[in-house]
Amino acid sequence: MLIREATEADLAGIMLIERSCFLNDAWSEEVMLSELRAPHTFYVVALAGDEIVGYAGLSKLGQSKQADIQTIATALSSRGKGIGRAMMQVLTSKAADLGAEEIFLEVRADNKVAQKLYEVFGFRKIGVRKKYYQPDNIDAFVMQTTLLRKDPLVLGIESSCDETGIGIVRGNQLLANVISSSMDKHAIFGGVVPEVAARAHLEALNPVLNEALEKANVSLDEIDAIAVTNGPGLAGALMVGIGAAKALSVATGKPIYAVNHLVGHVAADILANGKVETPTIALLVSGGHTSLLLVRDLLSDVTLLGETIDDAAGEAFDKVARVLGLSYPGGPEIDKAAMGGNPNAIRFPRGLTLPKDMLAHRYDFSFSGLKTAVARHVELAEINKEQINLADVAASFREAVVDVLVAKALAACQEFGINRLLLGGGVVANARLREVATSRCQEAGIDLRIPPFSLCTDNGAMIAVLGAQLISSGALPSGLDFSAESTLDVRIVQS
Amino acid sequence: MKILSIDTSSGTSVAVLSDSEVLAEINNPDSMSHAESIGLAIRDCLTKADLKPVGIDRVVIGVGPGPFTGLRVGIAAAKFFATGAKAELVGICSLDAIAYDYYSQGNTGKLLVETDARRKEHFWAVYSGLDSGVPIRVAGPSVAKPEEINRSDLQLTSITVSAAALGKIAFHQGLKASGDVSPIYLREPDVSLSKGKKVTC
Repeated sequence: MLIREATEADLAGIMLIERSCFLNDAWSEEVMLSELRAPHTFYVVALAGDEIVGYAGLSKLGQSKQADIQTIATALSSRGKGIGRAMMQVLTSKAADLGAEEIFLEVRADNKVAQKLYEVFGFRKIGVRKKYYQPDNIDAFVMQTTLLRKDPLVLGIESSCDETGIGIVRGNQLLANVISSSMDKHAIFGGVVPEVAARAHLEALNPVLNEALEKANVSLDEIDAIAVTNGPGLAGALMVGIGAAKALSVATGKPIYAVNHLVGHVAADILANGKVETPTIALLVSGGHTSLLLVRDLLSDVTLLGETIDDAAGEAFDKVARVLGLSYPGGPEIDKAAMGGNPNAIRFPRGLTLPKDMLAHRYDFSFSGLKTAVARHVELAEINKEQINLADVAASFREAVVDVLVAKALAACQEFGINRLLLGGGVVANARLREVATSRCQEAGIDLRIPPFSLCTDNGAMIAVLGAQLISSGALPSGLDFSAESTLDVRIVQS
Repeated sequence: MKILSIDTSSGTSVAVLSDSEVLAEINNPDSMSHAESIGLAIRDCLTKADLKPVGIDRVVIGVGPGPFTGLRVGIAAAKFFATGAKAELVGICSLDAIAYDYYSQGNTGKLLVETDARRKEHFWAVYSGLDSGVPIRVAGPSVAKPEEINRSDLQLTSITVSAAALGKIAFHQGLKASGDVSPIYLREPDVSLSKGKKVTC
């Protein structure tokens, strides 16, 4: 489906739908044409192939701070596909761009389906126009919504893995970023156990919320909107945050925005830097993700260039730590063990860097072969009754991970002609990764951004600031029916 | 007192009560869509009851036992609804609702309540009747293999828990705030330490 600005040439297609949707009160062709032509209106059509399957129009006069939704309709055969919602989204973004602070619309009193949809988008009934729709003699409800353009106060909830995070931002400004991690509870298992993580989220909800509100020195009444991660991540863990966020939204009447966790990691840089400079390549490395993104625009143009096809980088650190008899989480332990070690002592494999792999997996990562290579090295030493040099093994393993991460990120910068690289995710805590990225970016003339660690690891503030960005762009709330999406596509910034 | 009652130990069940009178209820038996339906169910139930969130004094929540993932959605929602609406939480064992419905229909005698605990196990509890509107639980809640459960008592296997019944039980108990609530899991997380496998042959 494509949505574009309507032209006079679309008139016939529009009228076809107009007449089939509004039986007794369809606009005439003349009225519709003058609407399309008027300088103060903005009409869009939704297309499936070449066919017009929906249209919607906005009116915004000169310097007025108010805009009106003039009409919206979807062809009967194309309903239930989110076309109306998508067109509404385009219109409200346009209204925001044109400087509107409020949007109004009229809806038939007997059209409960439409009213519910508008409510989901944050519209509220503010009045009635008696017998507005003729000849049916039906009242119109007037509905209104306020666009939160300037520096909205947003509360963000994150629960996609093992950190319960609640952050509060005002526009680009960080007010609170409280994180409760269940890392210690996973330690004996050597990795994140989804059920253990989900249980910990439920326990942490209220203490984390209270602390965040206290730190930000705001009350729930003052919050303008709620943002929550709905994926990607562990389904059972996501659902705790989603259940809590939806109920908080209903209880407080604040609109809710379901946002993408990975894009949230990119948005974290706003809190450190005031904005995300685009275009940029972003490398997100954590215990759950290893993703290379091309970000041309934070809200509308994020592409996944590649990701891990097996273990995440952080997971590889955890697993290799176990092989080496070190504890969880593996990253810091391996860092410690690697001190004084020779990173070039053992040439461990660099996953997916051979020419044949580069054809199909240019920007993908693989760490399971590396993990096996370390395990084999250790086992062979055992069989031969030799001592391994722990510092050398740890340093060489770490070097292999870091090398391939940075090399692929820089290759992406080069291929797309982008001289910016942004790092995110918990593995950024790894000093060697930061070191190698810094020196190689310097050599290549690439501007490297690494937000502070508290914003790199999973947190609620990045979710809040992404919500704030969406709001400032005129995005409508998500409604209440979104689900947890464990494999959410990075192109879907808001669900 | 105005009560919002929530249970997600089976499907998604939400009710709004004024004392023991049910003003509205929404029951979605689907046991796989708690996260999707919880927000709308609460909102629509309040709308049906013509109440605003701030009008709610108590949030009654079924604390299980029940399949964990769904159960947590309701409890998470109850916690943050209570915080947002400045109401107090009251936790009630979800199985009590089934016993309440059974006895309030005039039935008497001992009752074994069983629900699916997945992994070929059942959650169960035994009741003897109502005491001033509150089910008297004489055994359980527990989890066991179906063949290990003593079936000498009349048995009632239920797949749905009614939030309306939970709300009534809470009312008959005096709506005493529980402070924080925790789920009745009855089972440790299903995880074992892996030994690590050899990679050389």
